[in-house]
Amino acid sequence: MTKVLVVDDDPSLIKALRIGLTARGDDVATAHSGRDAIAQVALLHPGLVILDLGLPDLDGLEVCRRIRQFSNVPIIVLSAYGDERRKVEALDGGADDFITKPFGMAELEARLRVAMRHADARSGNESETPTVVAVGDLQIDMVHHMATRAGETLPLTSREFDLLAYLARHAGKVCTHHMILKDVWGPGYGEESNYVRVYTHRLRRKLGDEDGRMLRTVPGIGYQLTSDTPTE
Amino acid sequence: MQTTNGAYRRVAAGTIVALVGLAAFLFLMLPVRSHLTIAAPALVFLVPVILGVVVGGFVPGALGAVAGFLVYDIFFLPPYGTLSIRAAQDWIALVVYVVVVLIVARVVTNLQAARQEANRREEDANRLFELSQALIGDFTLPQLLEQIVATVQALFAPRWTVLLLPEASAAIGVEDAELSVAARAGQAITAEELESLIAAGGQTRSLGLPGGVVPSRVAVALVASNRPVGLLVLQEVRLARQDRALLGTFANQAALAVERAQLQDQVLRSRLLEEIDRWRRAMMGAVSHDLRTPLASVKTAVSSLRRDGDSMGAEDRADLLELIELQSDRLARLVTNLLDMTRIESGALSLRYSPMPLDELVSEALDAVSGLVPPARVVVGDTSDLPLVEIDHLLIAQVLANLLENAARLAPEESLIHIGARAVAGASGQLVEISVTDEGPGIAADQREQVFEMFSSHSGGDRAGLGLTIAKAFVEAHGGSIWIDPHMVNGARVVFTVPGAAQVPARV
Repeated sequence: MTKVLVVDDDPSLIKALRIGLTARGDDVATAHSGRDAIAQVALLHPGLVILDLGLPDLDGLEVCRRIRQFSNVPIIVLSAYGDERRKVEALDGGADDFITKPFGMAELEARLRVAMRHADARSGNESETPTVVAVGDLQIDMVHHMATRAGETLPLTSREFDLLAYLARHAGKVCTHHMILKDVWGPGYGEESNYVRVYTHRLRRKLGDEDGRMLRTVPGIGYQLTSDTPTE
Repeated sequence: MQTTNGAYRRVAAGTIVALVGLAAFLFLMLPVRSHLTIAAPALVFLVPVILGVVVGGFVPGALGAVAGFLVYDIFFLPPYGTLSIRAAQDWIALVVYVVVVLIVARVVTNLQAARQEANRREEDANRLFELSQALIGDFTLPQLLEQIVATVQALFAPRWTVLLLPEASAAIGVEDAELSVAARAGQAITAEELESLIAAGGQTRSLGLPGGVVPSRVAVALVASNRPVGLLVLQEVRLARQDRALLGTFANQAALAVERAQLQDQVLRSRLLEEIDRWRRAMMGAVSHDLRTPLASVKTAVSSLRRDGDSMGAEDRADLLELIELQSDRLARLVTNLLDMTRIESGALSLRYSPMPLDELVSEALDAVSGLVPPARVVVGDTSDLPLVEIDHLLIAQVLANLLENAARLAPEESLIHIGARAVAGASGQLVEISVTDEGPGIAADQREQVFEMFSSHSGGDRAGLGLTIAKAFVEAHGGSIWIDPHMVNGARVVFTVPGAAQVPARV
């Protein structure tokens, strides 16, 4: 049973989500405005936040950023179709994933599951920088710069390892091209998304993940490393 | 004719001045002639003759010289009373007198001619200035064309003036296009003249060629940047040399002005297209947002029912089903709204006015939003004293419904929504002002205009969606206006006016 905070200014969507998620066994809290949402995250410590980007008082992106200042709660952003720029901004601002309106409960639940699983894994070794990160059968040894899948060592170059390590540290979160470039290539980068494409392509070959089930492409946005691909 | 008359008159006047002056001096000096030197009368007689020249030019000068010569010789050079001359020095004085008079007459005449020329040029420059003034100004292309022909007509007074432009004058750069009459002034053109114009007008021609077979027709090509812009034709006109030059200069300026106006026309047209495009995009954004919002909750509810409907409590299931129904209604209402708005804007929908009492209108609106706005929340003011409203009730009920829906959505649950109305005097008769007041967060001062505009939901202020935009379109289609009451402290009040049916009392 997860405590889910639903933030939207449309009462009927809130109502539908409350009934739907409750039926799945979740504990649902709701907020109609950005300020209310921030207060509730601080007070209730929800296990997950579903956040609409169009709120009457604060911009959804701003809400996302403010929550991130004090909480690592997974945030799934609700956005409109075709609004790629806002999605990217929300992900850069700390959101973990997004879902496009209108959506079905099955898709939403799959996203919730991924976010929750990886958030749990992350919080498990939150206290210190983990030396070994595991995503499914993938093991990444940060100290020895070594990665294995199902026990087999992967022959990675240094950059490939850095990329995989970055995605693994943020497993379950959709990482934008921009975030990946800034961290893996360095602060002088940010727009060269073709670099990331080339390296993820090589990584997939070496991971034996040609169809991108584990290293998922989020079209136009970025990549997500997950052991649990959401069913669409 | 005018000018030659004037010239004769001036010559006559000059001659009179010279002769009368001579006579006057003669009578003045005659009694004292024995005390004068030989040169003195000659100098004195220069004065009237030069005055004559100044007034009348060379001819009075010459006549004056002859008269002066005779007077001088006969009355002042001894022996008096005869033409004979005694002393050599007298000869010299006489000859010097005549020569001086003639030279002075010549010089003064030339000076006067130069001054007249300068005057004429200044006049030309002034006329040209006035002409070009006629071309400056914020004219649309048709206005400018009218201005050109009117100016030419007023200045040169032909029987008529016609300005021919290539067909589809907006298409700049089309050469050899068919010419057609774009503007004309003066007397009516006969059909034959028009035919000869168009037949002859396929190609523009240079200045001053008489238009082929037709006598005294002047056609001037308007040329800008080496490209013919149009053809100016003057029928039955007599042009002096300088008039012709003036017309040519004016034609050049007119050509530039026409070209400029054509370019401006194009700029305006493309700007309009841009504006329409921008509006369309905003419209698309707003429509997709407003359609998606109810759709999102419908889809969530339906998928939830499909997955977990069996394990849900009966109450939850009923709630979801009710939600689906209400949101479907909302969608349907929005689609109707949008269709009506599109039809109003394309002119396909004409309003069906009928008189209606206000309370009927209110209950129609409440029916339309019955699921979304609980009737218990709505307080209706006293409408019994008000006149009937003369409206298309389908549209105005939508307006009221949209305002109610917004109020219900934005104000706290259970808070009250007030509907008020009062009669006001409008410029064109009785109006009824209807207001919807909520206890919600209100509308910031800088948003009071914008809320009626199409906006994208991305501004964060997801206030009203299309509801107010549609309301505005419907109210304005009735000739009314809609605004946010700026004096509200708590909550928002939206006010709109509709025409009242002044003749019919509400309660008989």
